Amino acid sequence: MLARRLRSKFPALSCRWQTTASTTAVEPPPAGGHSSSVASSQLFRITRESALRTPGISWQDEESDRNIIGGRETRKMNLYQAVRDALSIALSKDDTAVIFGEDIAFGGVFRCTMGLAEEFGRERVFNTPLTEQGIAGFGIGLASMGHTAIAEIQFADYIYPAFDQLVNEAAKFRYRSGGHFSIGGLTVRTPTMAVGHGGLYHSQSPEGFFMGASGLKVVIPRSPIQCKGLLLSAIRDPNPVIFMEPKILYRSAVEQVPIDDFSLPLSRAEILIPGSDLTLLTWGTPVYHCESALRLLNSPPPSLAPLIPPSLRNAKVELIDLRTILPWDVETVVESVRRTKRLVIVHEAGMTGGVGGEIAAEVGKRAFLRLEAPVRRITGWDVPAGLQFEKFNMPDAVRILDGIMETLSY
Amino acid sequence: MHPLSFRHSSLLTRACLNGRTLSTLPASTSLGCLPTTHSPTVSKLAFFNSVTGDSSKIPSYQVLDVFGVPIEGAKVPEISKQFAWRLYEHMQLLPTLDDILCSGQRQGRIPFYSLTSYLKYGEEATVIGSAAALADDDEVLSQYRETGVLLWRGFTLDGIMAQVFGNHEDSGKGRQIAVHYGSKQHHFHTISSPLATQISQAAGVGFALKRDPARRSKNVACAFFGEGAASEGDFHAGLLLAATLPSPTLFLARNNGFAISTPNSQQFYGDGISARGPGYGVDTVRVDGNDVLAVMNAVKEARRRCLESGRAVLVEMMTYRVGHHSTSDDSYVYRERQEVEDRTKNDNPIARFRLFMESRGWWNETNEDELAFRLRRDVIKAFKRAETVKKPDLKDMFTDVYAEEPWNIKEQREELMALLEKYGQVWEPWQNELRTLKNGGKPVD
Repeated sequence: MLARRLRSKFPALSCRWQTTASTTAVEPPPAGGHSSSVASSQLFRITRESALRTPGISWQDEESDRNIIGGRETRKMNLYQAVRDALSIALSKDDTAVIFGEDIAFGGVFRCTMGLAEEFGRERVFNTPLTEQGIAGFGIGLASMGHTAIAEIQFADYIYPAFDQLVNEAAKFRYRSGGHFSIGGLTVRTPTMAVGHGGLYHSQSPEGFFMGASGLKVVIPRSPIQCKGLLLSAIRDPNPVIFMEPKILYRSAVEQVPIDDFSLPLSRAEILIPGSDLTLLTWGTPVYHCESALRLLNSPPPSLAPLIPPSLRNAKVELIDLRTILPWDVETVVESVRRTKRLVIVHEAGMTGGVGGEIAAEVGKRAFLRLEAPVRRITGWDVPAGLQFEKFNMPDAVRILDGIMETLSY
Repeated sequence: MHPLSFRHSSLLTRACLNGRTLSTLPASTSLGCLPTTHSPTVSKLAFFNSVTGDSSKIPSYQVLDVFGVPIEGAKVPEISKQFAWRLYEHMQLLPTLDDILCSGQRQGRIPFYSLTSYLKYGEEATVIGSAAALADDDEVLSQYRETGVLLWRGFTLDGIMAQVFGNHEDSGKGRQIAVHYGSKQHHFHTISSPLATQISQAAGVGFALKRDPARRSKNVACAFFGEGAASEGDFHAGLLLAATLPSPTLFLARNNGFAISTPNSQQFYGDGISARGPGYGVDTVRVDGNDVLAVMNAVKEARRRCLESGRAVLVEMMTYRVGHHSTSDDSYVYRERQEVEDRTKNDNPIARFRLFMESRGWWNETNEDELAFRLRRDVIKAFKRAETVKKPDLKDMFTDVYAEEPWNIKEQREELMALLEKYGQVWEPWQNELRTLKNGGKPVD
């Protein structure tokens, strides 16, 4: 509008305007973030049949005995809709369940709680004042009385004020009371990982900081079906759980999600693509970059073909989604590495102190003599997540591809 | 007419509550209120910094003076002789307990890792008075100087000693340092060392009580803390949440003058903890914490308000920490011995109540001697018994981390057991340690 008025008043400007302000300008990236890997992924279960065959699904209703797989319904949902669906089921089935955090009531900054306050009332779905340490403390108090407390920390980058409550109190609650008090009903949900435009304080992956907080569980879903099932498990798990949702997937990850009440197991990794030559282990958003990397490896585009030795192109890489970071599924990972003899771990969080180091040490201990290459970690660099540099900070398909090739040819 | 002022004056008309007529000129002489907060607008630039409005200190509610005599206008609660005895006995039990545990620790009879016991001298009235005002099933989240609440509710001396000694009878399984009690049966949440964490948790406990149809309007959550802990962010968060959400939570602050070596003058600049209450919109009262009847009256009323409004209420109990911070502290390094002696002599909560009871004909020297003898005897008996009880089973180092046992803890437990098998019978330091444990630390599947 302004451009047109300027052009009419100052015709000399119109040429420069036309060359720079083209009407077929590039569309701004979607507000929720966009990833080409996610957009082109084949890992999403986009049909009802495939959705109902999700491995490990455990139906949580009375119908489960009748095994009516053919009869169950699914609905197209993205990740935030799947979160919402899980929360709605939790509130329906558990009278003690409440959801709270900043901006929860109107639907949440990522729409995860849309309509829940209207449906279940403001005493069960409500805003708290702006205090993460308060949210965590409040949730612990509520859960200590046997209630189901579902807290939201608006961004994982802001979880640190709650660190004392989570590590000193929540993680140790059962232990220090001799088992007489516990807060299994506490679940802390928080959006995590990079989104394309988040910068230092809207992109972090803090799961590593909690590895030493024995007593806590940490879970990270990769897709809507996974999110719903894992979140319901987390809410019902008798231990406090931190549930980190990759925010770039909120809108961009879409699947047919079973509408019934189901859970997926915690502390069980999932093999997404079976393989025999190398184990590729990751969680959250990087699952899709790993998938793209494998595609590039197996059928490289002409631009990359000269850099990918033909001998490596037939490598069968086993892709594993860890899903639960703490306690993690050492059995599945080690069994895989014993077969493939090579392990590459990918995570967005920085290298030093990241979860990859913990896994590498444990795998090194158990599969030392089997390994034919050192465990390779492909991670964010040890720098804060600088806004303009994100594309070269978070591991992408090409970096992962390169690491795979290096490990294959060690 | 400038379009802006037209809109401006119509906004004022709509927003102002006090109904003054408005001039349509932009420089209006009549003033109204701000639209969203209804805060009246004024032309005088004046700063404020006083809760009382006249820069005087927030007053302290009192019933008895230091000689146990009701002050003018005092509202002495109607209590029976038996109840008075119960108050007094529990107040006396606290220093008796501290005396024996203190000397026991100095003699090295309490194990090394239970070196530190937080002492309660001087604060007996704050704790017993509060305990007496609460319902037995109000949920209490305390800091570490409120053992009196547990004792008032019937927690046994054996239970106290078990936790202090960390033996296998401790309900906490020997995992925490001394005085970190917990008792689900007595609605006393397990104490943890990080200060003030219980304050924001209490707001959540209160919310649970509100949501529970069986306990709504019957019980409150009650957080105890010292004036030093009140500097932590969790204090702010707890009051903010309990006032705003709201939840029926009582906040009882023991202002005892010191946070270890830090006196109040270095802890805050405002008028104590009470001054903060109105900042959160919280009904607040300051009370003479060394007057057990005043504490009882104040907390009773605070509790009533809390239940009625379903919202936070704050009580600041002014007292003095006669004892050192803990058995690891020598407070004469940072304060005059004379100051302590003066306070003990001139403002003694126990003496004050005894004088009150004597004035009623409810107490005499014989009662005093008998009580002192009995309390000492009972505490020493429990102490000696606890000395003989072994420390917990070593396997309890590994249990209760999670509801179930994950692989890492299982493997680590097995690793330790294997090491004990290998070295436990031949390496003397380990042998000595294992002998103190229940089952001798033998591997249990």
